[in-house]
Amino acid sequence: MTDTSISGTSVRMNAGTRIYLYVSLSLVAALVLVPLLATALGGFKSLGELRVNPFGLPAQWHWSNYLDILFGDRYWRQMINSLFIAIMTVFLTVVASAMAAFTLAHVKFFGAGQLLNYFLIGLMFPAATAILPLFIRIRDLGLLDTYWGVILPQVAFGLGMSILLFRNYFRNLPDELFQAAFVDGCGYIRFFWHISLPLSRPIIATVGIISFVNSWNSYILPLIMLNTETKYPWPLGIMVYRGEFGTQWQLVLAFITLTILPTVIVFFLAQKHIIAGLTAGAVKG
Amino acid sequence: MASVELNDIRKSYGTLEVIHGVSLSIDDGEFIALVGPSGCGKSTLLRMIAGLEEITNGEVMIAGRIVNPLTPRERNIAMVFQSYALYPHMSVAGNMGFNLKLSGVPKPEIEKRVSEAARMLALTDLLDRKPSQLSGGQRQRVAMGRAIVRDPAVFLFDEPLSNLDAKLRVQMRTEIKSLHQKVGTTSIYVTHDQIEAMTLADRIVVLHQGNIEQVGTPLELYRQPANLFVAGFIGSPAMNILDGVVDAENGEPAVRLGDGSAVRIAPQRNVRRGQSVKIGLRPEHFVSVGSGSIISGRTLLVEPTGAQTHVLFEFAGSQITAIVDGDHPARYGAYFESVADGEKVYVFDGASGVAL
Repeated sequence: MTDTSISGTSVRMNAGTRIYLYVSLSLVAALVLVPLLATALGGFKSLGELRVNPFGLPAQWHWSNYLDILFGDRYWRQMINSLFIAIMTVFLTVVASAMAAFTLAHVKFFGAGQLLNYFLIGLMFPAATAILPLFIRIRDLGLLDTYWGVILPQVAFGLGMSILLFRNYFRNLPDELFQAAFVDGCGYIRFFWHISLPLSRPIIATVGIISFVNSWNSYILPLIMLNTETKYPWPLGIMVYRGEFGTQWQLVLAFITLTILPTVIVFFLAQKHIIAGLTAGAVKG
Repeated sequence: MASVELNDIRKSYGTLEVIHGVSLSIDDGEFIALVGPSGCGKSTLLRMIAGLEEITNGEVMIAGRIVNPLTPRERNIAMVFQSYALYPHMSVAGNMGFNLKLSGVPKPEIEKRVSEAARMLALTDLLDRKPSQLSGGQRQRVAMGRAIVRDPAVFLFDEPLSNLDAKLRVQMRTEIKSLHQKVGTTSIYVTHDQIEAMTLADRIVVLHQGNIEQVGTPLELYRQPANLFVAGFIGSPAMNILDGVVDAENGEPAVRLGDGSAVRIAPQRNVRRGQSVKIGLRPEHFVSVGSGSIISGRTLLVEPTGAQTHVLFEFAGSQITAIVDGDHPARYGAYFESVADGEKVYVFDGASGVAL
């Protein structure tokens, strides 16, 4: 059976193809990695060195750029703001969309199709187009300049994609599993808790990561909804920081590096699950 | 344990009726097989008994109680699925005890019953494994274990062996049979494999296009098929069917075939001269010596299976399969000759297919 289970690695290639692949993939990797490395290394340089040697290793490592930021409270406050908003967004998105998707996948009721389409229409609207009505609604709810004013719209905009992902995954769970559970005495709710959710770890991870990254990088919503600098998440914080230290590029670079770091770490930890989740159901497993 | 009674069960999808009034009574402790070709409604019928499919019309009674409005759990049935449908994230013990856990049975009691069932099915060493770490046969046993632990009124099997390879299928067949002999729970078994039905069941129900064609013990169905469909379905290789007209030969009743040759039939058959009929010849009823009509023709295909050889030959414009002894010197292109005893020739009405 080994010869039929071809995973990409066992495909035979001749030397030319191989070289072509390595060169082209290295080019793409460089496009991503060089700016990241330049940013990270730039944070260790002095401003003068940054001007003459933007890409190379620093002649002298200035740890103070990073340490000043790490020991100041601005960085941590922004991280905590971002983290709180992101975690609440992830939690609410996963809970709401998993339950909605489960219903749409398993329960047949009048208007189920229309309801699903209604959610999916949400995929077509970027948050930016809805900014004005959104602002008015959040103002009327009295949520301006609160975390919830950012979290709730983010959850709402994330629902379409998340429901779609969850629903496809739930639908691909074998029907007989549901019937077996039904015979064993599960209703819908018990089936959801005891069978669907434990089996959905990959898709929960996928939806979680997508909404986390979206929330983490979200700029326009916090910009509109938040006014107090102590509530700013890091994208707004960076803007303020750059305003203050606009000429000291080494500090800005160090700050950027530190703010990217958490996402990179999270991504590496969850990478395996993300890929498993995105391709789930694409091929018969 | 309980008896099961079906009263004029019907099932429609929209205007399309797929089960046309099936009535059947199953005794306590009986092993019933529902067989039929794909699409005959056997699985639908089973799922209606299980409570997984709504019953359009009619009543299902389990232990004398009408269960139509009840959920599968309230009906106290256990079902074994074709794909096993084990919960992938639970251990074998978890799978088997899940139902008891949902019913709030205390933990020590669950463990006791699970280990009892595991012992019965030789699963004791596997209790901590996940389904993905089990072989097909082991998974099948876990699925049965899950059904046993709850001590249900009725076992329902939905083609439980069709995912297994041929050898394992035979082995699991014996296990199911011995399990039934041990536990004695009323069982309803759906299969499209007539051999499985013949070997396992006390009684077989042959379904065709949503109707019951015949109900009877395996040997009744084999010896006295009620009609052409049952005759063709039961027995392997299938019965040879030939068209003909009732006639007499040397004062004995016979059926004249298309090419003029005659096949003697038993005198007690309820036929009249000139009636157009179909005759059925079981492949295993051809003998090389004996009294009866001579059936012969050119050999088209020889399939040795070891003890026996299947010979396909041409006779009266049709292709006929015969089973002969493995030593028989059959050869492609050679002339094959055999004798069919008139007592063992089945006769069916040409139009309705009813046995005569």
